[in-house]
Amino acid sequence: MQHEFKFAGDTVEVTVARDSGTWHLDDLECEIMADGRLKLTVNGVIKFAHSAKVGDVWWVHLDGHVFCIEKTEAGSNSDDSEGGMVAPMPGKILEVLVEQGQSVASGDLLLVMEAMKMEHRIVANVDGVIAMMNLQEGDQVQQGDVLVEISE
Amino acid sequence: MVSTVLVANRGEIACRILRACSEAGLNSVAIYANNDKESMFVELATKSVELVGETIGETYLDQQQILDIAAEHGADAIHPGFGFLSERADFARAVLDAGITWIGPSPLAIEMMGDKMTARKTMKAAGVPVIPGEEIDFEDETKMIEAIVQASTRVGYPLLLKASSGGGGKGMRKVENPDNLVESIKGARREAIAAFGDGRVYIERMLTGSKHVEIQVLADTHGRVIHLGERECSVQRRHQKVFEESPCAVMTTDLREKMGQAAVMAAKAVNYEGAGTVEFLLASTGEFFFLEMNTRIQVEHPVTEMVTGVDLVREQLRIAAGQPMSCGQLMMRGHAIEVRLYAEDATNNFLPAIGPLAVFRPPTGPGIRLDTGVREGDIVTPNYDPMLAKLIVWAPSRAEALQRMRRALDEFVVLGTTTNLRFLRELCDHVDVVSGNTDTTMIERVWPDGWSPQFSSDILNGALMVAGVSESAGLHQVQSTISSANDGPQSPFQSLSRRYP
Repeated sequence: MQHEFKFAGDTVEVTVARDSGTWHLDDLECEIMADGRLKLTVNGVIKFAHSAKVGDVWWVHLDGHVFCIEKTEAGSNSDDSEGGMVAPMPGKILEVLVEQGQSVASGDLLLVMEAMKMEHRIVANVDGVIAMMNLQEGDQVQQGDVLVEISE
Repeated sequence: MVSTVLVANRGEIACRILRACSEAGLNSVAIYANNDKESMFVELATKSVELVGETIGETYLDQQQILDIAAEHGADAIHPGFGFLSERADFARAVLDAGITWIGPSPLAIEMMGDKMTARKTMKAAGVPVIPGEEIDFEDETKMIEAIVQASTRVGYPLLLKASSGGGGKGMRKVENPDNLVESIKGARREAIAAFGDGRVYIERMLTGSKHVEIQVLADTHGRVIHLGERECSVQRRHQKVFEESPCAVMTTDLREKMGQAAVMAAKAVNYEGAGTVEFLLASTGEFFFLEMNTRIQVEHPVTEMVTGVDLVREQLRIAAGQPMSCGQLMMRGHAIEVRLYAEDATNNFLPAIGPLAVFRPPTGPGIRLDTGVREGDIVTPNYDPMLAKLIVWAPSRAEALQRMRRALDEFVVLGTTTNLRFLRELCDHVDVVSGNTDTTMIERVWPDGWSPQFSSDILNGALMVAGVSESAGLHQVQSTISSANDGPQSPFQSLSRRYP
């Protein structure tokens, strides 16, 4: 079966084939165990992996590492984070340091927000002009809300 | 005497205290906000009572409501844990005025140590060395800025601005040069007002390259004040500890005795009762300076318990009941390390993370202790502190304890929420941690541009294959919110038989 995933910004195609109880990918072998774990054989070495899907993302634990691998539909090219800076956590806007139309450089401080009683500094991720900025001090924002848009 | 303890806290530390009550043969009352009704600690009490209200202020910080619950349910003692009301002298006083035993030091001791400027003055008077710096007596922003700017020329850079009511890194700012001073004062003051309702800020020289070494003390009402050795907690990010150990790698018997005596002097200066911690900075010269005293049980108390064999929470209960403490001569044995598992993104400035604990499998085996308030299936929300668990290991030597911690972290599986597990694991391999050459600026020094995990392409390919196989087989799927209860228990066999190609 062929799947398209996104990992660390890159699109990856993964094709796994099943031969009775064993899955194959190049020289890797994988079996699903009764408790839901996966038994992986890499060059004759056996490792046990855990996986869980939350939303579209497969969380995989292997050898002390955790990977977040997003399932995407083949051919889709969604890149919704372009130029927009989103709220990392629900919280409150404490300070607004820029206004619409203003030129900013990557790294410039745009906003200060408070989340979980800590202050977080939202800085520009690109050089450009503030295309959207309609927050005021004291506004509440939700995780994932677009705070500022910058057009390059 | 004490028969029923109300635990005015939540999460991991509430579990710790409720279990201690159970072991001591005491009844317990848990209090919980509505968004905690499914939390683990609620199950561990003899009786659990829901708090009315939405915000933290209306629930865990609502003193009158807590006192009313204590009265209604016959609690004759209140244990505040850490955080929340634990260092609120007004609450301690209200508890005592209601005729209830306060499991902690006197309100006066809390006040004298809780106000960091008063604590500095008290310690100077008691002959305990303090960090070079100046107290600033202004509350007005303009006057405060003026006074700090003047003081900064005497204290020197780099310096730290600290909230007088501060703790946990809140209201604290590091200032490298005069250009950022005014902005930093405003930021520290604003954060302090938001977190503590008190904007007073003072100034201390930043002692770079020093270790954070703290001494655990116990004082009972029979005149006995002892120290239980040190914990080293130098490895911190954003002034919050992540890796704690006892003993400190560079400690000598002589230095331990000196620091222990200073800690005992500090406790005696405020007529301390119960368990407390005196924090010091230990400079590379061997000089040590009083940082602050925490007038409560501390997050990292388990490492002391592991090496001394003393159950600190059990001793707190004994002391509060008016009994003498049960521990004898200090005996430290082996080495203990604690790491704090946080729901946070170590690759993105340790920003708190949220999500479901789709898989939560802690390690087991010899020498391992896990103090947690969560279990698999719980949801990590932004409502409370992002600390999920404390993983503590004990072994005969420091090297073996580190080995054991590496093994334990490799076994620990948490999926569904981003955690700092891998960061902690790599920390255990860092040359400075291995050699014990840790200081409070280590994380910034080692990872100035942030941390990102190191892994081989073999491991990544394996993980991608696991995702591919999991997707093909329709394995363990978790909704992004709590899954509906009528799905019934998930059997891996059912999901396996469904979607074979």
